[in-house]
Amino acid sequence: MKRYVLRRVAAFAVTLLFVSALVFVVVRVLPGDPAALILGTEQNPETVARLRRSLGLDRPLVVQYVEWLSGAVRGDLGTSIQYDVPVGRLIVSRLPVTLPLTLLAGALMVAVALPLGVYAATRYRRTADYVAMIVSQLGIAVPSFWSGLLLILFFSVHLGWFRSGGFEGWSAGLWPGVRSLLLPAVALGFFQAAVLVRATRSAVLEVMREDFVRTARAKGLPERRVITLHTLRNALIPIITVVGLQLGQLMAGSIVLESVFALPGLGRLALVAINARDLPVVQGVTLFVAASIVSINFAVDLAYAFVDPRIKYDA
Amino acid sequence: MRRTVVLLVIASVALGIAGFAAAQAPRALVVQTGTEPPGLDLTATPASATAGVVLYNIQECLVKVDAHGKIVPWLAERWHTSDNRNYTFFLKKGVRFHNGRELKAADVKFVIERAMNPETKHPYPQYYAAIGDIIVKDDYTITFSLKSPTANFLLNLARQGSVIYPREAVETLKSAPVGTGPFTLGEWVRGDRIVLKRNPDYHVKGLPKLEQVTYRFIPDPNAALAALKAGDIDASLFGLGPEHVADLKKDGRFDVTIGETTNDVILAMNNSRKPFSDVRVRRAVTYAINKPDVVKLAMFGLGRVIGSNVDPLNPYFVDLAGAMPYDPARAKKLLAEAGYPNGFEAVLKVAPQYYYTVRSGEVIVDQLAKVGVKVRIEQIEWGQWLSRVWKEADYDLTIIGHAEAWDIANYANPKYYFRYDSAKFQELFQKSEVTLDDKARREQYVQMQKMLVDDAPAVFLFIHPRLVVAKKGVTGFWKDLPIPSSDLSEVGWSAAK
Repeated sequence: MKRYVLRRVAAFAVTLLFVSALVFVVVRVLPGDPAALILGTEQNPETVARLRRSLGLDRPLVVQYVEWLSGAVRGDLGTSIQYDVPVGRLIVSRLPVTLPLTLLAGALMVAVALPLGVYAATRYRRTADYVAMIVSQLGIAVPSFWSGLLLILFFSVHLGWFRSGGFEGWSAGLWPGVRSLLLPAVALGFFQAAVLVRATRSAVLEVMREDFVRTARAKGLPERRVITLHTLRNALIPIITVVGLQLGQLMAGSIVLESVFALPGLGRLALVAINARDLPVVQGVTLFVAASIVSINFAVDLAYAFVDPRIKYDA
Repeated sequence: MRRTVVLLVIASVALGIAGFAAAQAPRALVVQTGTEPPGLDLTATPASATAGVVLYNIQECLVKVDAHGKIVPWLAERWHTSDNRNYTFFLKKGVRFHNGRELKAADVKFVIERAMNPETKHPYPQYYAAIGDIIVKDDYTITFSLKSPTANFLLNLARQGSVIYPREAVETLKSAPVGTGPFTLGEWVRGDRIVLKRNPDYHVKGLPKLEQVTYRFIPDPNAALAALKAGDIDASLFGLGPEHVADLKKDGRFDVTIGETTNDVILAMNNSRKPFSDVRVRRAVTYAINKPDVVKLAMFGLGRVIGSNVDPLNPYFVDLAGAMPYDPARAKKLLAEAGYPNGFEAVLKVAPQYYYTVRSGEVIVDQLAKVGVKVRIEQIEWGQWLSRVWKEADYDLTIIGHAEAWDIANYANPKYYFRYDSAKFQELFQKSEVTLDDKARREQYVQMQKMLVDDAPAVFLFIHPRLVVAKKGVTGFWKDLPIPSSDLSEVGWSAAK
């Protein structure tokens, strides 16, 4: 196990190095110069050249990358061109929005999808199964920004239960914070749940055809125990894999939803930074998101061993 | 007896509170804005999002462009010039920066010299190029001597790059600007909001009317509309589109104000590239476009049709909207004369960051197809637009709004992305820069506007409207926008909310 973890940590570092180099090159090769964007339509070649020099953009790409990398290794991701604030501090300041939003959406997703998927599997090819599949098909088809707007229209404009957007901060208390994040979490989580419903259903269906399930039933075990203890437990591996992948999707989905709900999260930070070519922020956020997704995948791999004792790393 | 006294005290306190609550109108305002400022330093960014928050609210200039576009004394209570070369400004006494220190003539000298210094990366060094010497006569008197007479000198001192700040606060301009304005910066929660607080020592008595202004950044227009309807914001200054106006006008909770701006939306043609290098083709394109239809279909009827560069808020504006009316037959004839009887193909590059560019583009593509000009729309991101279209002039056609006031100079610059190169126009413009007689200068401006109609370097489409939507009871917004500022000093709630 120890060797496995070490191997994964090494792979983690290599992945991040690759991602950082890729992002570094891509954002610089793309047309659109940060200095030109700052000066907009008021620029002239001299002012642009001066600004490029002061931003350090006139130096060779390799020099810039090595400098940035050596800073990043020491935890210094540079300073935002746009906000004039250290990138690390900027990312940390956005986590209290994005992290709870992703977790809340993930929890909603699992809470809806797991029971619905199992229920659909037990009612295979019956009305309830078809209804569950149609609902999940709708969920896959509806884009989350649109469902987000519908939720705002109904719950904020008509009923007045929630704020239409924005984030007061956790300092205002737990409930005001949750209240700001609930609608976007629903828009994000419920609609991601659609995919998980399908994955759960097919995984459970597959296990239900196994001999040991038939044996359990033959022993006279109640159906509920057959489903929860014998079937679901064994179907968890593919389900956890999908959940892991979807947590990454949720982070990506938050880019759009944070704009719709005007939330000061990581996704909105990334979007604004890309539009303004705030290179240090684009690099910092990408690195952070990549690290998070690789970590989630790592956690999923480790979870396999706990869920299924037959899986042993370093066997 | 004691009980009676206690009861009386409680009753009077309760009545007092009730009376106070009834008489007091709200003193705070939440406004929506679509774009978060990219830093708050007006001496480092030309962004209108920054000017919208900082200019005339946090920082002010020696002179000010008022709501009607007139230049009025401000931090300088008056000025004097006898030869149009030496301008002496007399500063208002007792004006304090937000840090408590009094504004002195030495601050003005420091600020303008810093703007002129090429090392400081000021976005508008050209505004100060004519200044030769700045002489501080005493704490409240300062003289600018110009190398040559400059007609727009006073205007340039009222613009966003000329804000006055204390020299000791120069390091924090980007994140915590200090000035003399009616509001001080309360907090800036990056990505969410900027809060301005009332400046209790403001040099204009009775202003500002509000205790606090919160700018909330809501980029999505539909989300902004929802926030307005849900009561989460009190007003929207820049965020809503013309498509929302009809609905909001019917809603009794809101007041909708539609005004003029200096933002002229144009279809620019690359004058250096075939076939647009031929003036007949440029005229043909102009005749082929039905501008009132563009405004009707792309802007829901909001926006004033124009015929030349100068906007209606400019004192030298001449209405030339009808100078080249929609005439497809004439367009076809001109195209045939230019050697394109069957039209030609072209690409229209637009940046969807500005919604009106794509919408107008779609209408125009359809109109040009009717005279045989087949245009394909290519949507590119703003950063790419700036580098490919604006910087390198790698384009056939593009649509964009030029928000700056007094920007006719762009047509006198042959390197500007239109690549319009007319020696006659350039000469006329240079003359207008040094002509100080108002009547003579007006005549030059009229001539320049007419030349732009004839030479058709671009199709001048319409003026983008100013749209302010606010809850009923909020008063004091500028109706028109002669300068990209949103001066909130006179905004307040009327007593009956």
